[in-house]
Formats: sequence, C-alpha cells, structure tokens
Amino acid sequence: MKVFMLSAQDARKLRPSMVSAIVFIIGLIGVFALQLMLNMMVTQDAYQLRSLEAQKRDLATEVQIIQEEVASLGSPQNLADAANQLGMVANPSSVLLDIQTNRVFGEPVPADGESLGLASANLVANSALGSTSRFITASLEDAEVIAGVSSELTEGAAVTLQSGLIPASPTR
Amino acid sequence: MGTHARYSRRLGIFAFLLVALVAALGLRLFEFQVVRADEIQQKSLDRREVTRTLTALRGNIVDSNGQVLAKTVFRYDINAAPKNVGPVRTVQDGVIVERSVMEIALELAPLLGLDLEDLLLRIDGDSEYVNLAKLVDADTYNKIRDLDIPWIFWDRFADRLYPNGAVAGNVLGFVGQDGTPLAGLERQYNTCLAGVDGQETYERSAEGIRIPTSNITTQPIEDGGTLNLTIDSNLQFFAQQVLADTVSELNADWASAVVIEVETGRILAGAEAPTVDPNDPAGVASDDRGSRIFQFSFEPGSIMKSISTGIVLDTGSADEYDTVPAPDRIYLEFNNEYIKDSFNHEDFTLSLAGVLRYSSNTGMTEFGRVIDRNTRGEYLQRFGFGAPTSLRFEGESGGILRPASQWDEMTNLTTLFGQGLAVTPIQMAFAYQALANDGVRLDPILVDSCVSSDGTVYYKPEQAATRVLSESAARVNLEAMEKVVEFGGVGKTAAIPGYRVAGKTGTAEISENGIYLDEYAISFYGVAPAEDPKFVVGVTIYRPEGVSNSANATPPFKAIMQQALKHYRVPPSTTESRNIPSDRFGNVDEND
Repeated sequence: MKVFMLSAQDARKLRPSMVSAIVFIIGLIGVFALQLMLNMMVTQDAYQLRSLEAQKRDLATEVQIIQEEVASLGSPQNLADAANQLGMVANPSSVLLDIQTNRVFGEPVPADGESLGLASANLVANSALGSTSRFITASLEDAEVIAGVSSELTEGAAVTLQSGLIPASPTR
Repeated sequence: MGTHARYSRRLGIFAFLLVALVAALGLRLFEFQVVRADEIQQKSLDRREVTRTLTALRGNIVDSNGQVLAKTVFRYDINAAPKNVGPVRTVQDGVIVERSVMEIALELAPLLGLDLEDLLLRIDGDSEYVNLAKLVDADTYNKIRDLDIPWIFWDRFADRLYPNGAVAGNVLGFVGQDGTPLAGLERQYNTCLAGVDGQETYERSAEGIRIPTSNITTQPIEDGGTLNLTIDSNLQFFAQQVLADTVSELNADWASAVVIEVETGRILAGAEAPTVDPNDPAGVASDDRGSRIFQFSFEPGSIMKSISTGIVLDTGSADEYDTVPAPDRIYLEFNNEYIKDSFNHEDFTLSLAGVLRYSSNTGMTEFGRVIDRNTRGEYLQRFGFGAPTSLRFEGESGGILRPASQWDEMTNLTTLFGQGLAVTPIQMAFAYQALANDGVRLDPILVDSCVSSDGTVYYKPEQAATRVLSESAARVNLEAMEKVVEFGGVGKTAAIPGYRVAGKTGTAEISENGIYLDEYAISFYGVAPAEDPKFVVGVTIYRPEGVSNSANATPPFKAIMQQALKHYRVPPSTTESRNIPSDRFGNVDEND
C-alpha cells in the first residue's frame, strides 16, 4: 500500500462536489420519469389497440355482409331471374354479321323462350341466394311505355329507359 | 465460570442461531431464486399468459375469371344463459331504459327464426347454457349483438359459402358441418386449401388487456391457398341451364356436358344435371352429389365410331376414298350371331365418311375387322380409355377396357362401334380432343394452379401430350366427321350457322346384367370450327324417357357449342368442307 501526501488545496479539489451530485440525481429522476411516461403511453396504446382491433373485426364483419350481398346479386342465378323478370328471353340462334363482306351468318329468329335445350329462367339451385334483384312493377311498365312510344315515333333514335329500371336495393 | 464467560457463550449461541437462520433463509431464497426459479416463473406466467390458436382461413376456389365459387365466411351460434335471463337496463342519452324479457324476446324471435313461445320456453330455466340458433349469418349476428343483451352470447365459426350455388357444384364438392372436406376438389386439394393454423401467446392484465411488453411468441398463421380452376362459371351456368332443361323435358336420369379448349386441354365447363348445391348437399339424392363426368362409365355406342375411323385412317388400312359393302346385317361365322345396323336398309357401299354419316355398324365392322385386335387395343389405350385421367378426380372411374387379348369374337368387333367397353364422359371428351388436336391427346386440366396469398405457387399441374394419330389421319378423320353434321339424318340438327362443325351421334343401348334394355344413353360429341378446332363439346343424356335416337342430344350440343363460340369470340368459318365421298354409293366405282 502506498500513501501519498497531498497539499490542502489538492485535497479540496478532490472533495465530492455538491453540484455534480445534484445533476446526477436530477438526471436519474429524469430517466425514471421518462420511463414512466413511456410506460403510460404504451399502456394507453394497448387499450387503443384493443379498441381498434374490435373495430377492425366489426368492419370485417361488415365487409363480409356486403360481399355476401354482392356475390348473391352477381350470381348467375339471380342475373337469370332478373333478366327473366324484365321479360328477356334467351335466344339460341345467334346471328353474326361480317361487316367486310356484308354477309349474314345464321337466320335471325325471334326468341320464343320455349325452344328445347335453352331456358330463360334460372334452373340451377342456389340456397346461398340471400339478396335478389327486385324491380318495381310500376317503373317497369312506365319504362316499357316510354321505350315503346319513342321507338315508334322517332325511328332510329336511341331508346331511353327510365332510371327506375336499375335494380332496387335488396332487402333481406 | 465467570460472568464474562457466560455472556460470551450466550453470545456464541445467539450468533450461531442467527447464522443458522440466515443460512436457512438463504437456502430458501436460493431454492426459490435458482433451483425452482423456472417453475415458479412459469406458474406466475400461466396466470397471466393466454395462448390463442389463430385459425387459418380456408382458401377460395375461383373460376378462370377470378369469380369466387367457394369462400370462407363466419357464422355464429347464438346461445343464452337462462339462469341470468332478466330485464335489461341500458343508459340511453343519460336516461335509464329498462326492457322487459318479453320485449327482448319479441325482438329476438324473428332474428333467430324462432316462434315467440319456443324462444320463451328455451330461455326459461336455471341452466347456464342453451343454444338458440346455429350458424346464423353475420347480418343477423350484428343485429343481435346490437340489442346488447348480457345473457346472450355467441360462438364464431368459419363456414363455407358457395355464392353461385350449384354452378360447378359437381366438381367443387363440399365440406361437412365441421369443415371436413367430403367430396370433389374441396377434398382432393385440401392440403392446399386448408392452410396451417397459427398460435400466439401473450400476457394479459386482470382486465384482459394485453400487456404491451409481454413476450408474444407467434407461430405464424398460413392461410389456405386460392385454387384457380379452368372452369368458366358463365359457360358452366349456361351449360347447366341447358342440361337442366333437357333433363326435365326428356324426363332423363341425368345429363352431362363437357366443354374443352382443344389447344390447351383446359376444361371450360363440366356441367351436369342434376347437380349438387354444395351449400346444401342433402338437397339432392346421394347419387347426385358427385360428378358423373368423372365417376360414371357407360357403353358409349356410336360416338366411338369416329375414334375407330381415326384408327383405320392412321393404320393406313383404308383412306377417305376406299369403300366397303355395308349390308343391313352381317352374319358372323361364330355362334350364329350377326351385326345389324340401327335401321333397315338395302345393301350400301360406304366410305369412312359414309359409315359415320349413316352410323353404319356393318360398314364400321368391315373397315375395322382387318386391323389386328391388339393394335386396336393399343390405340384405345392411347386415346385414354380404360384408365382414369391424370386428373385423378375423387372417385374417378377408369371405365372398362379389357386387354384386347381377352376380347371374345363378338367384343372384338363390337368395340369398333362402342359396345363391350365402358367410358366416362371425360374420357370420351378427351378422345375427341385428340381427334380435334391433330391427333395429340393432352392431359385434362381442371385446376390451373393453387397459389398462396403472397403469390407462392403451391401446385401447378404437369401436362403430358400423347400422340394418338398422325396429323394427316386426324385431319382427314375430322373431315369425315363433318359429313355427319352436313348430311347425317340426326347429325344435321347439330349444325351451327356460320361454323364448320364435326361430330358424331351416339345412341347406346343400356344393358343391365348383360341384357340390353329398351333404354338408351344418347350422346353427341363434336368439334368446332372444324378447320381450326377451338372447342370440343360432349353431351350425354342418360335414360331419356321414350327416346330411342340421338336427335335430342344435338340441341343441347348446339346450344352449348354456339354459346362457347359466341362467348370466346371465335370468328365464323370462311372455308367450305372438303368434298370427300360420304353418300351411300359414294362417287366411287361400284366394282371397287
């Protein structure tokens, strides 16, 4: 063990400083406070996360409901029925025009809806059909009248249909 | 002994006890902190820790346009705790509102689809659990949840939804109530569709809130892949409509139609009537829940003749100008048996095209019998008969084709016109695909791929190509088949204005226990446009009531082929068919 002799001045210099102690303690408190704050924030976020997750689940359910509705409305069964409701009939005899040679392929035959091997209304089962297209009969009739009149009076003019023909929103 | 010594001894004992106590505590501490540390920590963790299985979502099945044919949706079982049933108080805009049990039941009953009395009966009692409704849809669940009744609770289940119902239901198959795939592609491609369940573990507070800094160990969830089919659901629906109409019109047992893209071997439609609606498999008889296209084999009858003419041309034993005598019947040199045509006629002289046009069994026999039976047997195998296709569809039948060496004298001849062997509709359709594709039979493709959500391809089919006929033999054969549609008595009704169509009719007697009944399987298998084949359409109608010729099979063929040509924008034919002899005398020398 070695012993050094110091002057009184040097000894004073080596005495623990009050200021640095205070700075150290304040720093420590600061760090703890910061950690506490961060902790509080994180905890708060955990609650928010849960509420957002619940919201996400609800929205996913909402999306599922809407997708099911769209899928049902877009299914060929609904489309066939909707077309049938509008009075459309499948025509097996398609006729093709060759615009270069002015040739007509096939005999234009009016659709009668009775011909063998072709159905107009849906015949294919679908028990998932929840939402279906509905048409308001009154607006349908109006549209027919207007379409009929305009095509007779102004030959060649575009036939306009009333907006009432857009499928009404489905109800469950 | 002095006082000092006594004190010193007491102090010694005290010190010893103190040390012993500290040592004991230290040991205990050591035991807790080191020896049993893991166990104790585990115990504490167990209290806070929750392990949750994350159920993988079963993948979608989509058609060639991406239209969803099968998807997973959530359904809810609605339960109640009768023990807690009572009026419900809620605060609305600062006012306490009380709803009586009766008021709640009145709102609940229609949502659950129950009678009011029934519902009241169910929620009466002391039990903690009673089920009120099973698998209600999300909309109903939302409405029930919004009622905010504390004694109502629910379980969520993943369920399978087929938005297009029976469209392609025969090939899709279905799953059981517990989600087990039971049939069709659902079952065959379950590995790809099912996905892998994940797991997550985290700690939660007394309130059930996840502790943010807690370790979350997660086994990543792997949702099922998307199964992409080659089926075009619009064409499929159209074909099913046509067949449903046909079956009810003819009062037939069933009907099937296959549409194949010739150049790729992709199955665009595999339609059947009746067809199972996978949403409700119990809605049809158990026999109708599969796919007869793959699972049912039948004696094909005359649709086989165009296969036989192809073999004749390929072996070079005759060309399109050669003729044979085709009498009304041929008497055979064994067992006093004979082969007869389906209609009575004077002696014909027929070319290969004539044989097809008149669907002459005797003419076909004369052309075919000169070819060695083993050679013909090998051809039939190459056409794909006698073995299931590479699709290996659930429960697929391979049909019946005995080795040629085992054919008896009669079978040796009858196989030429489709008796003595059995085929599935898919086999026959792909035999025609070979005829249309310059003699090369492609493996059928029904599943295009199975792909994960991040684009990883789990499955992609491999396709083999088998040369069955030479290109020239196949071309000439198709020209001969065109004569069926141009001039054939029944075949003519399969003609599509604007397009060259080649095909063959078939009216096969149905046998039961070796005896032919007065019941038929009528078919038309055809190709269009004949000069550059795009599609094969094969229609079979089984046991139509009181129908004994194939005239009823051509309208559905025509409707479906026409739709396919229209749907895929195939331009009309610009060429005429080649002038090859097909009349009963042909433009050939009578002495030939």
